[in-house]
Amino acid sequence: MADVSLKHVGKTYENASANTIEDLSLDIRSGEFVVLVGPSGCGKSTTLRMIAGLEELSDGQIWIGDRRVDELEPRERDIAMVFQNYALYPHMTVAQNMSFGLRLAGMEKVEIRRRVEAAAEVLDIGVLLDRRPRQLSGGQRQRVAMGRAMVRDPAVFLFDEPLSNLDAKLRGQMRAEIRRLHKRLKATTIYVTHDQVEAMTLADRVVVLHRGKIEQQGTPQELYERPATRFVAGFIGSPTMNFLPAEVVMSDDGVALKLDEAILPAPAAKAEGLAKRLGQPVEIGVRPEHFVVDAAPALTVTVDMAELLGPTTLVHFTFAGVACSAMLPPEHASGEGEQQKLRIAFDRISIFDPATGRAL
Amino acid sequence: MKTHPLQRALFVALVIALILCCFLAPYAWIVSSSFKNQLTLFNDVTPLSWKAFFPVEGTLENYRTLFERTNVLRALLNTAIVAGGQVALTLLLCAMAAYSLTRIRFPGAKIVFVMILLTFLLPIEALMVPLYQVVSGLGLSNTLLGIMIPWIASPFGLFLLKQAFEELPVELEDAARIDGAGHVRIFFSIVLPNVKVPMLTLGLITFLFSWNSFLWPLVIVQDPAHQVIQVAIAQQGSPTQLPNWGETFAGATVATLPLILLFLLLQKYFTQGMTTSGIKG
Repeated sequence: MADVSLKHVGKTYENASANTIEDLSLDIRSGEFVVLVGPSGCGKSTTLRMIAGLEELSDGQIWIGDRRVDELEPRERDIAMVFQNYALYPHMTVAQNMSFGLRLAGMEKVEIRRRVEAAAEVLDIGVLLDRRPRQLSGGQRQRVAMGRAMVRDPAVFLFDEPLSNLDAKLRGQMRAEIRRLHKRLKATTIYVTHDQVEAMTLADRVVVLHRGKIEQQGTPQELYERPATRFVAGFIGSPTMNFLPAEVVMSDDGVALKLDEAILPAPAAKAEGLAKRLGQPVEIGVRPEHFVVDAAPALTVTVDMAELLGPTTLVHFTFAGVACSAMLPPEHASGEGEQQKLRIAFDRISIFDPATGRAL
Repeated sequence: MKTHPLQRALFVALVIALILCCFLAPYAWIVSSSFKNQLTLFNDVTPLSWKAFFPVEGTLENYRTLFERTNVLRALLNTAIVAGGQVALTLLLCAMAAYSLTRIRFPGAKIVFVMILLTFLLPIEALMVPLYQVVSGLGLSNTLLGIMIPWIASPFGLFLLKQAFEELPVELEDAARIDGAGHVRIFFSIVLPNVKVPMLTLGLITFLFSWNSFLWPLVIVQDPAHQVIQVAIAQQGSPTQLPNWGETFAGATVATLPLILLFLLLQKYFTQGMTTSGIKG
């Protein structure tokens, strides 16, 4: 286990018009499980590859423990990495795949065997040790890839979208497996994914990257409940947050938000800040589950489509010219073309400055 | 009207048999003629009779005189050494060049690759005189090394292997780097074992090219002790006499047998490699 520290790290590729990574600083505590998440091209995999030593830095430093490692070869960094496509050597057996690095390091055969067998037992792949990767299923290959990382007993585990090639059911199982392994090994883990569900379920801390910069970092709950920007609000959470245009107005009851034709009281916690923006436009972020069915509704909408998801129904409608979705109990959800009476749980909404995208 | 599957299969078999006959007939005639004497050799060709392809009164005389007059075994051994050496050196050189052009970033890599491919466009005949001057200048005329050395840097081989390396996931090499391997170890322990089929294909093509080469060995080697089989067969008669076609055909049969055996053993890789390179190329 070791701390990992990225200090003002930058990466610019030749012929690229903009920096891929720009002045990125991040401190990861020993034993912490940090997930780097963001859309394609945000620089998350590049960041991970720089930590691994597979990409050179254009600027900044990387420290693992008390060693500066950014000029060291990957093998000298005391890391192990699990790749998206597993990257198992096709011509080697599972045991040979797992032991390749140890053999190169000149480790004693007895010790290699002990480590391989121990990792195989933990991952339940003992019976697969003599098979070749092509004889394994996707899930088994992923376990072998994890086993190859485990036998090295590294200070830091790096995962580069390791579950994206698996089907949904297996992905769920492997998520639990990775979480269980982390609890058992307590190794510092940096995990890259574009899947916000993986980020939310696995991470001690989620770091959201956007255009090569950290947009926000925090616990999954912090990011979900208090997104710092419109980008984070839209990226974290599934189904995605609804964004509605509004205007700050003064009503008889105090500061309010004018949503289409409706005038709704501003959340008490945000009223003071909003009072300074009277007459200005804002953007309201409402999670689908924060639309609630109410006897005294504030909004009446026409349902465009209703999707039964099992325990809930996702109701799609258009409000204030924006396509929205609400997650409702099936027994209260209206059908297609019918009227749906809703209320917004105003104490749970986010409010953004439309010009900067920052939360107010 | 719907065709019966059996009729369809018969029709396909007939067409295949016809095509096969067209391809195999010249070879069958050569082999058959190698067992006939000089007087009866052309008797059944015009008008064409089935006897042209089957030696009715077969004789081994052509083979006996061939082995007596010409040092066929020596020529076969020379050819095997040249072909084997050319295969080994071509594979090593082309694989290393293709790997570096595929994976190692350096300025001008694309230009180097295009320049190498451009040499494809030059006909071998146009290269004979300059090649002769270079190889003679190196003191390699009349040597087996002199026969093989101009052809080991094969642009076709480079192209074929570059395609294969490009299809190999980079993550395999990344994983090996993290495991502690350097460029040389990655090349020999990870990359080469995973491009076996294209390597075998290139090896076979190179072997065929080398085994069948005639013009270059004829130019660079004058000493019969260092001559290869194709030239040895052509030179087995006296320049002042009419060629003994029976002996020539016996020589051609002897020279072709090792290739047929090799192809039968490795045809799976040959066709697989050619198909792959065709699709991806």
